[in-house]
Amino acid sequence: MAMNRRQFLQTTATGAGALVMPHSIDSAMAAASEMGPRRFVFIRKSSGIRPLETALVNFSDQHKAMDQKKQAFEVALDKHELPNWLRGLDEYKEHMTILQGLSAKMSENVHWSFSSVMGCFKSQRNTLSAIKRATIDFELAKLFPSPFGHVELSFAGGRTGIVDGFSAPAPHTRNYCYADPETARDELFKSVLNPDAVNSDNDMLTFLQSREGLKAVGIKGHEKTRQQSHIQSLGAIRQRNKKLVAMAGELARHVPDLDPIHADGGPNATTPQKQAAMTDVLVAALKSGLTNVVTYTIDDLGTPVTGLPGNETDRIGIHPLGHDEAFGGVPAWKTREQIRISHVKQVKTIVDRLKQVPEGNGNMFDNTVIMYFPENGETHHGVGTESPFVIMSGRNCKLDIAGRYIRLPYHGTEGHKTLGNWYTTLLNAHGNPIEHYGDFDLEMSRKKFDQTGAIKPFLG
Amino acid sequence: MRLTAYITLITLSASAVDAADGFAIPRDAVAVLDQYCVSCHGPKKQKGDVRLDTLASLEADARNDLLNKVQEALHFEEMPPDEAKQPSPAQSKTLLEWVGRHLKNTDASKLADKLRRPEFGNYVDHDKLFSGEYAHLEPFTYDRRWLISEFIFDAKMQRILDGRTTDNWRGKRVNLFGGHQVRGLSLANPFLLPEKSGVRYYANTDLTGGHLSTMLSNAQKTAIYITETLVKDHRKKTYLPVTREVLSLEDRHEATLVARRAFLEKYIARVCEDLYGEKNEALLPQFVPVKLKEEKQFSAEDRKKDKRLPVPVAQNTIKKSGGWDAFEQVVLDPANKDKSDREVIDLCERIWFYYGDYERDIQGRVAILRDYIADFRERIAQDKRARRTEYKPLDEAEMAIINDAIREHRAKGDRYNQVLEKCLTDWEQRFKQERIDAGPPSDELYARMIDELFVQVLERLPGTNEAGEYLALVKGYTDKLGRRKAVQKLIQTLLLTSEFAYRSEFGQGEPDEHGRRMLSPRDAAYAIAYALTDQSPDERLIEAAKAGRLNTREDYKREVTRILKQRDVYYRVDKNLADRWRQGNVTNMPVRELRFFREFFGYPKALKIFKDEKRFGGDRLGSATSRLLEEADRMVAHILEEDRDVFETLLTTERFIVYHDGDTERMRGRSDEIKRIYEYFKDKDWQNFTMEDLTKTHADFLRTVNMRTVDPDKPQARTRQGNMLQLFKKSMRSIVNRMDDGQKHPAPFDLYRGYGNDFLPGYNVGKFWNHDLDNWHYEPVQPAKVPNRKGMLTHPAWLIAHAFNTETDPVHRGKWVREKLLAGTIPDVPITVDAQIPEDHNKTLRQRLASATENDYCWRCHKAMNPLGNAFEMYDDFGRYRTKEALEYQNKLIKQGPEQKGDHLVDSRDTYETLPVDSTGYLEGTGDRSLDGRITGAIDLAQRLGQSRRVRQSIIRHAFRYFMGRNETLNDSRTLIDAERAYVDSGGSFDAVIVSLLTSDSFIYRKAIED
Repeated sequence: MAMNRRQFLQTTATGAGALVMPHSIDSAMAAASEMGPRRFVFIRKSSGIRPLETALVNFSDQHKAMDQKKQAFEVALDKHELPNWLRGLDEYKEHMTILQGLSAKMSENVHWSFSSVMGCFKSQRNTLSAIKRATIDFELAKLFPSPFGHVELSFAGGRTGIVDGFSAPAPHTRNYCYADPETARDELFKSVLNPDAVNSDNDMLTFLQSREGLKAVGIKGHEKTRQQSHIQSLGAIRQRNKKLVAMAGELARHVPDLDPIHADGGPNATTPQKQAAMTDVLVAALKSGLTNVVTYTIDDLGTPVTGLPGNETDRIGIHPLGHDEAFGGVPAWKTREQIRISHVKQVKTIVDRLKQVPEGNGNMFDNTVIMYFPENGETHHGVGTESPFVIMSGRNCKLDIAGRYIRLPYHGTEGHKTLGNWYTTLLNAHGNPIEHYGDFDLEMSRKKFDQTGAIKPFLG
Repeated sequence: MRLTAYITLITLSASAVDAADGFAIPRDAVAVLDQYCVSCHGPKKQKGDVRLDTLASLEADARNDLLNKVQEALHFEEMPPDEAKQPSPAQSKTLLEWVGRHLKNTDASKLADKLRRPEFGNYVDHDKLFSGEYAHLEPFTYDRRWLISEFIFDAKMQRILDGRTTDNWRGKRVNLFGGHQVRGLSLANPFLLPEKSGVRYYANTDLTGGHLSTMLSNAQKTAIYITETLVKDHRKKTYLPVTREVLSLEDRHEATLVARRAFLEKYIARVCEDLYGEKNEALLPQFVPVKLKEEKQFSAEDRKKDKRLPVPVAQNTIKKSGGWDAFEQVVLDPANKDKSDREVIDLCERIWFYYGDYERDIQGRVAILRDYIADFRERIAQDKRARRTEYKPLDEAEMAIINDAIREHRAKGDRYNQVLEKCLTDWEQRFKQERIDAGPPSDELYARMIDELFVQVLERLPGTNEAGEYLALVKGYTDKLGRRKAVQKLIQTLLLTSEFAYRSEFGQGEPDEHGRRMLSPRDAAYAIAYALTDQSPDERLIEAAKAGRLNTREDYKREVTRILKQRDVYYRVDKNLADRWRQGNVTNMPVRELRFFREFFGYPKALKIFKDEKRFGGDRLGSATSRLLEEADRMVAHILEEDRDVFETLLTTERFIVYHDGDTERMRGRSDEIKRIYEYFKDKDWQNFTMEDLTKTHADFLRTVNMRTVDPDKPQARTRQGNMLQLFKKSMRSIVNRMDDGQKHPAPFDLYRGYGNDFLPGYNVGKFWNHDLDNWHYEPVQPAKVPNRKGMLTHPAWLIAHAFNTETDPVHRGKWVREKLLAGTIPDVPITVDAQIPEDHNKTLRQRLASATENDYCWRCHKAMNPLGNAFEMYDDFGRYRTKEALEYQNKLIKQGPEQKGDHLVDSRDTYETLPVDSTGYLEGTGDRSLDGRITGAIDLAQRLGQSRRVRQSIIRHAFRYFMGRNETLNDSRTLIDAERAYVDSGGSFDAVIVSLLTSDSFIYRKAIED
C-alpha cells in the first residue's frame, strides 16, 4: 500500500495544532458509520521482556534451536503450550500472537524509553524537544476519532492525579495521563460526575466567541477569514463539550464503581487491586465510546509494587528486581514472573469484558487490538535488538497474525523488522497509507537492507 | 481531436454545457491552448497525466484543480518547456488572465496563497528587484496580525510566570531570556516553527483549532500554577499583588491549615500525651500488628541467581514508603539505645499504627526492617547528618486552638490521623464561613485585579467597555465556582484570546498620498522588539512609544541601533540544544540576529539527523554533535561581532572553532598541563611503575598536576575502571598517544573516559574535522585555521544537516545553494516521480545519482542542483573531508572495526573498499562570467560564491523575509536596493543591513487590507 511522496509529506508534516485538536463527535460518528470503530490498547511494561521467557514450552527440538539462534520461523499456538506467565490467556490462543524478533534500537533503551518506544526516535532521556513525531497511539486515534481521542493511563512512578504521560500528540509535545483509577474515572466521566466543570468551560468559550466575533467586524481579506476560522474553532470545542454533557445519560451507564480503597489515589490499595480498578476504567472508557485508543503504562521502574502473590507483605522495587535483587526471600525471577502474570490477568479481563459487549455481528473485542510489550527492549538493561510483543487481536482487525508464534529474522539480517515496520503495519492496515512510520534502524541502513514499510504478510 | 474542434462542439451544444455550470473558455484563450498545450496534454498525449481538452466536461472541483496547475505552470514559467515552441508574452497574458479570472470568480485560486509562502519567495524576478526599474514604487506591508512563534510563546510564558533562567557566560552566572522551563508545569508549545533551513517564521500562518486546543490545556495549567504556587510564594511579593489580595483570605486560611497539618503530622502524639497525660494510652486503639509472611531463606539454588537486596536499596525502599524519619528518630532517641532490634521494630510499628499509616505501608517497612535493622542502626550511627528532632510547639494562640480542637473531636479508639482530619475539617468549615461572612471581593478590587491580569497576560490595560465585560464575567465565575477558581478561569480566558496568540501590526493616523499609514507607536515598539529578540519591548522602547518618540524613521533607527549594540542582555540561543547539552548556548547579541544565520544555513538540523556511532568511529556522538552546533553558533557570533564583510567571511573563512569553549586561558592551561605531564614522564619507565612510584618517588610532581583519580595522598582512590595505578597508566597511554606525533599542543579532553563532570564534553567533535583523538594537533587559540575547509558550507554542522542518515545528499545541498545563495528556483518534484537513487555496489553515490537523474526529463531540474551539490562530495555524511568514498556494503568489507568498549581513543569504523571521490562541478547563475564555470570542489565553489554580488543580494532577500515575515514583491525593490547599499557602504556590516531594513518603508508603512 504505497503512498506517494507528497501524500507522505502531508501526513508526516502535519503541524502540532492539527494533531492535538480533539476530534468532534460528529466526525467520530461519521467514521464509525463507515467501517465501525477499531480499538487499540497499548500496555507498556518496564524492565524488559526476555525473549527466552516468552518462548513456547514444547517447541520441537528444531524450533527450539531456531528460537535460541534467533532464526525466523512460525508455529501455531494451538499446538503448543504457553509459558507459565501467559497461561492466563490459554482460552484465547486463537486471538493471540507472540511476536518475537522486532527490534527497537531506533528508540531509547537501557532503563527507560519515555516517549520513544511508541514514536521510534531517540528520546534523549525525556527531552521534550527530542519528541520527533506523534506517537503511534495518537496516529491511530486520528483514524478512529472519539470524544476523547486518546486516553493515557499510567502507574509510572507511583504518582497520582493528572501528570505527564509518555505518549506524544505531536512533535515536542507531551501528553498527560491519569495516574490512579479514581482520577481516571472522575476525569473521563466528568460530564456525568461533575457537569458544572464542563458548563463553566462553556461559559468561558461563549464569552470568548462573542469577543472574537466583535473583532471580526470591519476587517477584510485574509484577516477576516482567519478570524472566522478562529471563531469556528471555539464553537467546535463548545459543541464537543455540549455533546459530552448531552451524552451524560448514556455515559452514566458505564461509570465504573470503584472500591473506596481507591479514594485519594488509593495509597492503601495493593498493586493487583490498583491494576484491576484501572482495568475497570479502561474497559469502561472503551465500552462507553469515550475513546478508541488507550495507552496504559502498567508499570515503570519507579512503580512500587505491593500485595503481589508470593510477596504479599513486601514493598517491591522493580529496578532492584531487574538487578536480580530479591525481596522477601523470593527469587527475583519468580517475582518478575508474578508481575507479568498480574499484567496478563489484566489483558484477559479486557478481552473477557469486551467479548461480552455485542457489536455489529459479533462483539467489541472483534474490533480490538491489545498489545503488551516492554518499553525498553529485551531485558532490564535492554539494548533494543529484540522487543517481544504479545498481541491479542479480534477477527475484524485486518491483521493476519492471530494464533501464531512468529519469530522474525534477527536484527541486522535481511528481512528483519523493526518497531517502525510493525507500527507501519498497524497504520496501513487501518487506513493510513504512510510509507514508513518512525526512524530507521542504523545498522540495517549501514548494511543496506530494505527496512521500509509494513510487514506485508501481516496485512490481512 | 484538436481543442478548437472540441470547443466548437461545446459552443454548438452550449445550452447543455452552460446549463450545468456556465463554464466556457474565451476563443483567444482556446487558441493559445490549442497552439501550445494540447499537443502534449490532449487526446493523444497526457504528459504528467494532464489533459486539457476535456476541461469543460470535468466536475467543477476537478476542473479548478487542473486550472490551478495550469495557472502555476504559466505563472512560474514552467510551461511550455524550454525546448518547446513558446507563446508570445501577449498570448501568455491572455491565457493567464482568463485562468486567473475564472479561479477568482469561483473562489478557487491557490496561487495567491502559494505566493505568500516562503518557498515561493524566489519567484519574484531577482534582476527586476535590484535593477532600480521599480525603485520608484512606494514600499509598504499590509495591516496584519502575525501569529507568535515558538520563541515568543516561551518568552511570553517566562514573563507571565516571572520565570528566571540562569547560565554561565564567560565565567559568570547570568540571567537569561529564553529556554525557560518550570519544574512541575509542563506546557506544550503549540507554535512550533517548521524544521527547515531558510526563513522559518512567516506572518501567513493562521491560528487554528489545534493551537486553540493545546492552549486550552496550557491555560488551565498556567492559571492553576499562578494561583496555587506563584501568588502564594512569599518570596514573590511584587508578583500580582492585587490578585494576591483577592485571594489573600483564602491563602491565609490555607497557609494556616498547612502549618497546622505539618505540625500535627509530626507531633500529634506528643501533643496528645501532653494534653491527656497518663490517660492518653487508654484513648488509643487496640494495637494490631501487621501480618507478615514467614521469613524465608534463600535456597542454595536461588542464591546462585539472586542477590540479597543491598542495604542502600532497602533503606531507599523504606524511605519511599514514608517510614524512615520515624525509624531514625526512634534509633536516635537515647532512651532506645539499649533496646533490641525486635523492640525497636515493635516501637516503630506502634508509632505507625497509632498514627494511622496504611497497613500496606507498615507491612512493607516491617518486612524490610526485619531483615535489615542491624545494618540500618549502624548506618544511622555513622551518619553525621542524622540529628534528633527537638519538639517545638507553635505559638501559644495556635496551640490553644489546636488543643481545643483535639479535645473537642478526639474519640476513644481514634488513630491520630483521624483526630487530625477531624480537626482540619472543623477548621476548614470555620474558615469557609469566615469567607462567606466577609462577602465576595468588591467590584473595585476585582476591577484592579482585571487591570493587573490584563497587563500581565496581554501587556495592556483593558478598555472601558472591556473592563466592564470582564468584571461581569469574573463575578459570574465567582458565583458558580468560588473565588480561586474564578480567578483561574479569568486567567485562562485571557490566555485564550486571539490577542495573546497574535502580534498586531496596524497602521495608525492619516494615510499618505499612497494610502499608507505609519505603524502605531505601540505596534512599532513590538515590531522592533520582536524583529531583534523574542521579548516584548524593553522599558526604553515602551517609553519611546508612549512619549511620541517612535514616529519617524530616525526614531526607529535610534532604537534599532541601540538594541543591536546592547550587550548586557543574555539570551538562550537554542532551547532544543540546551535541553540536551545543558551548558553554554548563550549569546549577548540580540538573539534574532544570530538566529537569522543559523536558520538561513539550517545547520541546527544536524541535531535531528540520526547517525550511527559505529560509522562515526566513536561513542557519545550526541555530545559531539551538540558541541559541533554550539561551536558553529559561536563561530557565526564571532563573525557578527566583527561585523566586517559578514557574508563573504561566513562563506569563505578558513578559521573555525573546534573543541574550545571560548576561554582561551582555560583551554591553553589544560593543554599545557597535559604537555607538562608528558614531558615529565615520557622518558621514565612509567609502564612498569608500582604504587610506590606514585605515592613516593613522583608524589611531589603529581601534587602539582591534575590527573583524574591520581592523587598521591589518596592512594586508595579507585573508579569502576581500576585503582589509582591502573588509572595512571591508562592516562599516560592516552597522553603519549596525543603527543607522540610531534604535537605542539595536546587536545585537552579528559585523560580517560569516566563518569562525572568532563573537562569539556563533546571531545569527539574533533572527528568531524578529521582530527583523530590520538593524532590531534590542537590549537589553544581559536578560531583557528582548519585544513580543507572554507566557510560555513564546509562546516560539518551544515554538511550533516544537509545529508541523510548514512549518505551525503548532493541534491539537497545543490538545491540549498541554488535557492539560498543564487536566488534561483527549483520546481517541486513532479507528483508522479518517486525519486530514488539506485543501489550499485560498484559505484560512488555521485555515479549512482547520475544514472538516475541525467536523463532528459530529470535533468531539466537536476542540472540546477547536481553540479553544485556534487562539489560537496569531498566530505562524507559526517562532514569529514575525504578523497575516497567507502563502498559500505557487506561484500566490500575489508576489515571489521574494533568495539569501542569505553576507550575513547579507539576508532571503531569498519574498513571498506573505496573509489576515488569526484567533487568537480559547475557553477552557473551568479550573473558574473568571471565566477561562473567549472569548479574543482566545495572550496573553489565557496571562494566564488563569496565574491558574487548575486549571492550578497540573495542573502539580503532572505534577511528581508526574516525581518518582515513575508516574501518581497517588486514594491519592495527600493528597500532591497537600500539594504544592499548599506551593506556595501558600511564595509559589509550586517548590523547596517538590519538597520536599513527596519527603517525602510516596507517595515514602517502599512496599508489597509483589501478584499
